[in-house]
Amino acid sequence: MSSQTVLYQPKISEVLRNINKVIIGKDEEALLSIVALLAKGHVLLEDVPGVGKTMLVRTLAKSLDCDFKRIQFTPDLLPSDVTGVSIYNPKTLEFEFRSGPILGNIVLADEINRTSPKTQSSLLEGMEETSITVEGEAVPLKKPFFVMATQNPIEYEGTYPLPEAQLDRFLLKLKMGYPSAKQEMEMLNRTSGTHPIHEVQAVLSREELVALQDKVEEVYVDATVTRYIVDLVRGTRNDEGVYLGVSPRGSIALMKAAKAYAFIRDRDYVLPDDVKYLAPFVLSHRMILTSEAKFEGSSPEGIIADVLSKLSVPVQRNVSE
Amino acid sequence: MNLTSDRHQSFYQITIYLCGFLLFMEWLMPLDVIGEFNNVSIFYIYAAFCFFISFIQMNWMISVPLKLIGLLFILDGLFIGERICSGGWFTIVYDQILYNIQVIQSQQWWDMTPMFRSLLFLILLWLMSYLLFYWFIIAKRMLVFVVLTIIYVTVVDTFTVYDGKWAIIRTFILAMVSLGLAHFYKEMEKESISVKSLRVTYRWVVPLVSMVILSSVLGFASPKLTPQWPDPVPYLTSANPGAGSGDGPGNGPVQKVGYGENDSRLGGGFIQDDTPVFRAMSQDEQYWRVESKDTYTGKGWEDTLEEETSEVTSRDLEFSTFTDDVETEERTSFLDFTGEANFNKLVYPYGVDAISRFSQDEFSENLSFQLHDNTGEIDTFESGDPVQLEEYVVDYNMPSFEYSQLREADEEDPEEIVEQYTQLPDNLPNRVVNLGSQIIEGEDNRYDQAKAVEAYFAANDFEYETEDVEVPEGNEDYVDQFLFETQLGYCDNFSTSMVVLLRSQDIPARWVKGFTGGELTQETASVEDQNLNVYEVTSGNAHSWVEVYFPEVGWVPFEPTQGFANNADFYTEVEQSDDGETSTDEDGETEDTEEDNSENPNQAQQQEEAESDEAAAGAGDDNNWTPLWITSALLIFLAAILFFVRHRLMAAYLRRQIRKKPGRDTFERAYIFLLKVFEKRKMKRHANQTLRDFANQVDARYQSSDMRQLTYHYERMLYRNEQGSEQMSKVTELWENLIKKALS
Ligand SMILES: Nc1ncnc2c1ncn2[C@@H]1O[C@H](COP(=O)(O)OP(=O)(O)O)[C@@H](O)[C@H]1O
Ligand SMILES: [Mg+2]
Repeated sequence: MSSQTVLYQPKISEVLRNINKVIIGKDEEALLSIVALLAKGHVLLEDVPGVGKTMLVRTLAKSLDCDFKRIQFTPDLLPSDVTGVSIYNPKTLEFEFRSGPILGNIVLADEINRTSPKTQSSLLEGMEETSITVEGEAVPLKKPFFVMATQNPIEYEGTYPLPEAQLDRFLLKLKMGYPSAKQEMEMLNRTSGTHPIHEVQAVLSREELVALQDKVEEVYVDATVTRYIVDLVRGTRNDEGVYLGVSPRGSIALMKAAKAYAFIRDRDYVLPDDVKYLAPFVLSHRMILTSEAKFEGSSPEGIIADVLSKLSVPVQRNVSE
Repeated sequence: MNLTSDRHQSFYQITIYLCGFLLFMEWLMPLDVIGEFNNVSIFYIYAAFCFFISFIQMNWMISVPLKLIGLLFILDGLFIGERICSGGWFTIVYDQILYNIQVIQSQQWWDMTPMFRSLLFLILLWLMSYLLFYWFIIAKRMLVFVVLTIIYVTVVDTFTVYDGKWAIIRTFILAMVSLGLAHFYKEMEKESISVKSLRVTYRWVVPLVSMVILSSVLGFASPKLTPQWPDPVPYLTSANPGAGSGDGPGNGPVQKVGYGENDSRLGGGFIQDDTPVFRAMSQDEQYWRVESKDTYTGKGWEDTLEEETSEVTSRDLEFSTFTDDVETEERTSFLDFTGEANFNKLVYPYGVDAISRFSQDEFSENLSFQLHDNTGEIDTFESGDPVQLEEYVVDYNMPSFEYSQLREADEEDPEEIVEQYTQLPDNLPNRVVNLGSQIIEGEDNRYDQAKAVEAYFAANDFEYETEDVEVPEGNEDYVDQFLFETQLGYCDNFSTSMVVLLRSQDIPARWVKGFTGGELTQETASVEDQNLNVYEVTSGNAHSWVEVYFPEVGWVPFEPTQGFANNADFYTEVEQSDDGETSTDEDGETEDTEEDNSENPNQAQQQEEAESDEAAAGAGDDNNWTPLWITSALLIFLAAILFFVRHRLMAAYLRRQIRKKPGRDTFERAYIFLLKVFEKRKMKRHANQTLRDFANQVDARYQSSDMRQLTYHYERMLYRNEQGSEQMSKVTELWENLIKKALS
């Protein structure tokens, strides 16, 4: 029969339903967060306070039966508060390692731009590795390791912008946006009485999650589609308004995300549609515009849309060879 | 030679050369559309200038500098800011030439500057003006150029966005005129024909003129894009009862399209009405059935079985049009009626099972459903008064009919079915019955017979028309009038005629009313974690179609109306265990279509033969009275015919290929060709558009889901690297549906 219908992978659709019970009207953000989770990447949520960033992460974490750690970044937080520290134990006459919150499966790094660059780095540096170094010792990170960081837009006071060079540790950068009036009313209705987050049950175990992550890697990407990804990324480097284009790490990220997205859509192969859809979320924080371009009001998203509109979608085999 | 003949001679020369010039213009015209030239008119002017200078045959000492000055003048105006012939001007020209020579030496053709490219192009125009002068006036050989022009226009039209339809007609006329004149001119030279003997000219003027006229007619009659209308039913809407059945729709000059009750007098034109009736959220597009009618009166439909009704509950609607032997798939759709329509019946998809409400709670207790057992009409009442349900959820078992089950169904119909559904009026003209038996002749089973009737209308140029539709007067029969006189009408004409033709051959059939699937909106709805499409169904989607009875299967829907596609699902069972059986089935299919298409390739072959024959005859003997120009004219004529049918020929060729060698390569070629045909039909896929996006667009226009389904299979081959689809026969069928629509 026709398989036109867009379905979600059954396990993922359970998680999505869970989130839907708590967070209203943020289906897309929830879905994209799961894309990052399955692609073994990390997410940066950026928006003004009070639009449900923290709540989204908490709900997602609660739906997963994993070790959840939360780091509330404040100006006085130290790197060792993130990574952990060795403490001398007078009884055993030895140093003992007390692990910090970075050693969890799901780590909520809340309001990450309220802390000093040094403390930020202690988290960001770990994000591309499988282990971190504390006082000269290598400490392995957990598997899975998934960081969801939230931050307020830079224009807000009392913030330390994340170093641009390290932003690309995040697979995706998302904005939340305000809910519509109807959604906001619905939210008020739901939060009177017990908050729905208390009723959220875990629907995915750690092992199941790891198994899903492994399956994502098996998703097939045809040469025509990788070519499309590469052309897209290279396009951002050639644009006039771009000071620094997307790096090769960006192309890898786009492919990983596309695989995860395809998987969530219950498909075992990637379509150009997936790439097109994900491009702004994966690429926009990986490029730096020239100051003239910024002054003229162009945005990374605008430039990506522009590049996409000039790029031919592959519709035949071996045509671009 | 005397003075008169000199004057004639220069008149012929001017005309012929002018033809040459205009033909040459056909070469430049596409550049406006496909090239990167912004100022094509400048080139036209320069070409005209060069042709003129060549024609007046000046001394080359004058003509060459003149052309050169023109050339510099244009380059200067287009590219050089400096004052002409000033110091800076020469520097620029010098730099340009130096740079471009280097580029040419290193063979980086694309790095040439625009100015230099224009220079080369202008020189080309210059050379052409000279060459054409030589060919047309001195050598009097224009055939080669004429044929080249036709080939050029054809190629450009086929492979680019340039629309060469008018170009080919112009070329054709020019070719006739110039070749005819050239022939006459040659004769005249040879025999020094005097003014007096010019009278014999009728011998060639007559055929020449008729050729020109014929060519123009051919041009006008060539296939054009017929617009797709939503299919309307010319009844008065129930919401508008004032204009009730009393007058009979036939008397009023204009009606409004919509779903109406009274079908006893069909015919007449109507105006479009896009009042929304309901929105449907469902997986696929499907027809929405409302009721069927059984008695044909010669003017329209009446329902004699209306009395038998029974009370049903929403949980169990118990109205099935097919038997348990039919494969089904469980589906759910959500319907949302707008306030504007007033509709006290249920609309439902085939296989309806139960209805419920959106929300958890039950329907009110006062609500009751009245099912008309025979017609399938389900009326809704609240406390005894007719009422409109604002929204409901339909659970249904979507049927898929298996070809061999239909083909092998026995033809022993139950008596009551025969009695009710083969009824025809006594005064039905005999020629209708005769036509019926002609159409189904040679088909040995009911399914293929029904298919043959369904296909009859498309194959015989019946046209879809909503405005200028006749109403049968006096003794005239509605179906007879449509089949033999007007051949023009909308869904009622097509569906009623199909039912009557079938019944005339004792095949039980009935007439069904309802709505088409409506327009796919941009929205999607996600209900209970399914993502569903949202379709908007308006009064304009009111429709009628046909159901044919098959013992052991039940009632199977058919769609005879031009421009509409049957939404019901048919499939071929593939039995892995038994190769023999499957292959016989497939063979049957293949044979069918080969028979259908054998016409085209044959034609092409005959044409080719004809061409080479003629060419041989022409080449053999120049001075023969079988004039060269007749040969040429035929050649050109055939070339033009080929030009007009090339898409069809290509489609027929690909259809054979895909049937013979189903697989990835043929499928790819067929799919890409389909995209090209769509592009010619003003539905262009932009290069940056994904196939899925484009498929949505196409389906929205044709109100079907074929393109999306086809694209799904294509995607799997392209992006999943599948070698072929397991459902190749389904793919083939989808492709054929689409190409048929695209070419119609
Ligand atoms: N879209 C939403 N759906 C449900 N609750 C929301 C939504 N947006 C905000 N809220 C509620 O607003 C409050 C603040 O959200 P929080 O996640 O702390 O915001 P942030 O982290 O963005 O500052 C929470 O109680 C949360 O439940
Ligand atoms: Mg917060």
